[in-house]
Amino acid sequence: MRGGGGDRLHRHAAAAMAAPALAGLALFVALPFVAAVVLSFTDQRLGSPLASRFVGWEQYRRLLADPLFRRAIANNLSFAAVVVPVQTGAALGLALLLNRRLAGRAIFRALFFLPVVFPMALVAVVWVVIYAPGPSGPMNALLAAATGGAWSPRDFLHDPAWAMPALILLSIWQGVGFQMVVLLAGLQAIPAELYEAAVVDGASPWGRFLHVTLPGLRSPLIFVAVVTAILAFRLFDQVRIMTRGGPNGATTTVIFEAVAAAFDRQEVARGAAITVIFFLLVVAITAAQRRLLRPRGVAR
Amino acid sequence: MAWVAACGLALVYVAPVAMMVAGSLKPDARVLAEAGSWRAISLAGASLANYRDAFIRVDLGRSLLNSLVITTSVVILGLGVNSLAGYAFARMTWRGRGWLFAAVTALMVLPFEAIAVPLFYGVSLLGWRDSYSVQILPFVANAFSIYLFYTFFLGLPRELEEAARVDGAGPWRTFVEVVAPNARPCFATVAILTFLTQWGSYLWPLMVTGGPRVRPLPVAIAAFYTLPPRAWGDILAFGVVMAAPVVLLFLLFQRAFVRGVATTGVKG
Amino acid sequence: MRYRLILLLAVLALACRDHHGGGRTPDIEVWFHTGQPGEQRTIEAQVARFNAGQDEITVHLTLLPEGSYNAQVQAAAAAGALPDLLELDGPFLYRYVWQGALRPLDDLLPATTLAGLLPSLRTQGTCGGHLYGVGSFDSGLGLWGDRATLAAVGARLPVTSGAAWSAEEMEGILDRLAAADPDGAVLDLKLNYAGEWFTYAFSPLLQSAGADLIDRTTGRAGGTLDSPAAVAALTRLQGWIRRGRVDPNLDDAAFTGRRVALSWVGHWEYPRYHAALGDDLVLLPLPDFGHGSRTGEGSWQWAIPAASRSPEGAAAFLAFLLRPEEVGAMAAANGGVPATGAAIARSPLYRPGGPLRLFVAQLTGGVAVPRPRTPAYPVITAAFQRCFDDLRNGGDVHAALARAAAAIDRDLADNRGYPPTRGRR
Repeated sequence: MRGGGGDRLHRHAAAAMAAPALAGLALFVALPFVAAVVLSFTDQRLGSPLASRFVGWEQYRRLLADPLFRRAIANNLSFAAVVVPVQTGAALGLALLLNRRLAGRAIFRALFFLPVVFPMALVAVVWVVIYAPGPSGPMNALLAAATGGAWSPRDFLHDPAWAMPALILLSIWQGVGFQMVVLLAGLQAIPAELYEAAVVDGASPWGRFLHVTLPGLRSPLIFVAVVTAILAFRLFDQVRIMTRGGPNGATTTVIFEAVAAAFDRQEVARGAAITVIFFLLVVAITAAQRRLLRPRGVAR
Repeated sequence: MAWVAACGLALVYVAPVAMMVAGSLKPDARVLAEAGSWRAISLAGASLANYRDAFIRVDLGRSLLNSLVITTSVVILGLGVNSLAGYAFARMTWRGRGWLFAAVTALMVLPFEAIAVPLFYGVSLLGWRDSYSVQILPFVANAFSIYLFYTFFLGLPRELEEAARVDGAGPWRTFVEVVAPNARPCFATVAILTFLTQWGSYLWPLMVTGGPRVRPLPVAIAAFYTLPPRAWGDILAFGVVMAAPVVLLFLLFQRAFVRGVATTGVKG
Repeated sequence: MRYRLILLLAVLALACRDHHGGGRTPDIEVWFHTGQPGEQRTIEAQVARFNAGQDEITVHLTLLPEGSYNAQVQAAAAAGALPDLLELDGPFLYRYVWQGALRPLDDLLPATTLAGLLPSLRTQGTCGGHLYGVGSFDSGLGLWGDRATLAAVGARLPVTSGAAWSAEEMEGILDRLAAADPDGAVLDLKLNYAGEWFTYAFSPLLQSAGADLIDRTTGRAGGTLDSPAAVAALTRLQGWIRRGRVDPNLDDAAFTGRRVALSWVGHWEYPRYHAALGDDLVLLPLPDFGHGSRTGEGSWQWAIPAASRSPEGAAAFLAFLLRPEEVGAMAAANGGVPATGAAIARSPLYRPGGPLRLFVAQLTGGVAVPRPRTPAYPVITAAFQRCFDDLRNGGDVHAALARAAAAIDRDLADNRGYPPTRGRR
């Protein structure tokens, strides 16, 4: 082991190594976060010649009283409530399907994962074509074919009832691949002996699924569920590009409202308050994950 | 049986992509007209006219260059900065290491959207806008990347570094010549995850870029799509060019992609 | 290995170096919104003509998407990154003046140019006694009609605002048209448009009914925007939508495809409508809801930021754009009302006897009402747009208007009534 002089050099080197990243995090992450909280207690506007004032909880009061903001939170919640189980379930199904020794499994995996690498802005634009109104729109045509002509064409993105489901579908399409890959890796990590033991015990395929697969997948399942839930609250790109929060607030989301306030209307204090609320929601979800992931059998 | 199901699902799944590619090769008027039938993916009369239009009319080349510059800069600078920090946390003792690492893991919880608004406000006040640097620098340091590197370096056998120390190498040389070359999988994972995130970044460039000069692809396609009249063929060609680099990377480095994504899952 | 890394970083640093224009003084940066393709082509041609015609100044044109134009400009203003000359959507000018972002144009433009301007444009660009904005065209808003179909239901065709249909008369005509129409949708209100359109197009309805967006002296909306007259007028409009008289117009071809006989829209559709309907196209004044036919006015106008590095150069380009032939070129491209009397006289559309003469008459005859000229305008229009969104989907009109008025008044209080300031400079 080196002596004291070397250790000091070591410590300096360590600090120097960590410094750029820490400086970046402090400047571009920690500082803005603190600024968000501070801003949310003012009435600061971008570019206003008036001095900003401290207004206490006023921004939060207004947000919680604003029907459009409440609708945004409700939209995020309903989005999460649908997407998390459906997308996870679909991903699990696909992972189970691909877990067998299928010919060309790598190709299948690649095909299902492909949409994940697409930028969401691109997915949004392409699906605008898919949701085109009129009978020649792909989705309308598909539904007409599937219902034997009983379906009358709709303009999904401008219909208050169909806009959100339309966004949900395309988000699921884009995101399933990611979850599938994680669950597939999880499936492959389950030792074969457990299945063999279950067979020996006389378990049916469904029983094997319930008692070997699902418990073995507990950690990755919770992980993908939480990630998807958080992504559900970050929902922005599709909304901004395809529906702009309409029609009539049917698809507005928390982040869309934050950008509308801070960027479109220069109300940075209100936007900051929205993002603080958003952060609290994310913390709540993450805390729930931590609780769920606590090893079983630990006394509460 | 399962194979048939898989094939069927894959075909349905890939249909939008096929439609995008086929539409990019058709004249604009035919894109919407044929979208609702199997002809959506037909390649009859394919031509590259839309690509030419996209490059000339809406400066696709410029947006592509912007995306490439910004994304590769974030990736490369990020790899350097975050790996060093991860190593410093994992392998070295220094004052403040403990609580600083706790702070870093706490920051991992913050999605970008939580700080987008105050960051936008801050850079606007500073007059830092509509440039490459404002799209690169805020994203170089990344708590999650640091964490990935940290976990990986923890798992490296200590013999490597001890051998380097015996050779008389200081911490910098040890890192560059011994540790980093053995961390290729981790570098690959972080590079891929960062590339994916940055290539598709829309919210931030939307707020800090104006005209086409430094605007990256996602904002450009969104602006192009709102431009009257809507030339769908050109727009889809734009989309193909936008997706091509990441798809190419994915196909080339599929294993690394999958491993990277799966790793984030195992971490939990 | 280390050296290669350093080299790579150096190359990256070079690539990151931001692209700026060439020399400082002779370059003028100009921002324009991406609107109709014709406007875009025209401005690009004008920039080329200007650059070619002299070699003291080079103009660089940047096109910003219309959807986020105002947000972009505001962010740039806060960042001190405004160009030398830029366009602003008419009534948004006053907020920029209040913020101190613009400089007056009185001393920069030739007096002859200013003298020939349409009075409505002078009004639009004036704030606090100084001229801050100049448009190269003004807008016209009216009711375009399909002459043949209207004649078939026996509708008279007023040619002056004074003779406009009353609201009841219009409703009767709509009913008669609907009876003869396969899907009953006979009116196009451009419901497919987004944003500022709704305030521009439908606040004249309020004014025609004797109400308004705000009280123009106090700036408050309460009692004016949600007055009984306003509620009645918008309820009637909502009734047309509810009864299916209005085409959703998702393909923007309801009128050109002859699905509807009437289209409530502005001058910019003239080229397309004329191409589709030819001599069957007729321009009518908007209906009279009780206090006379009213219509909208105002459009994009040019302004020079206070921080412009070369205001004289910017003014030179602006003076070029205001030459009769240039004004005529832009007006020909988008069908707008040319900014100067000279250009109007030369315009085949707008000179006496021209098909769009009604627009000129409306602008000079007090029929056209400017949108509120106040720094609060962005908030006013946002509130009205939201209100219109509510009522077009069947919401309660009075409640929607009351909410909008409350939002406007609350913003007024938040900003301490928008006191006159010297801005940030």
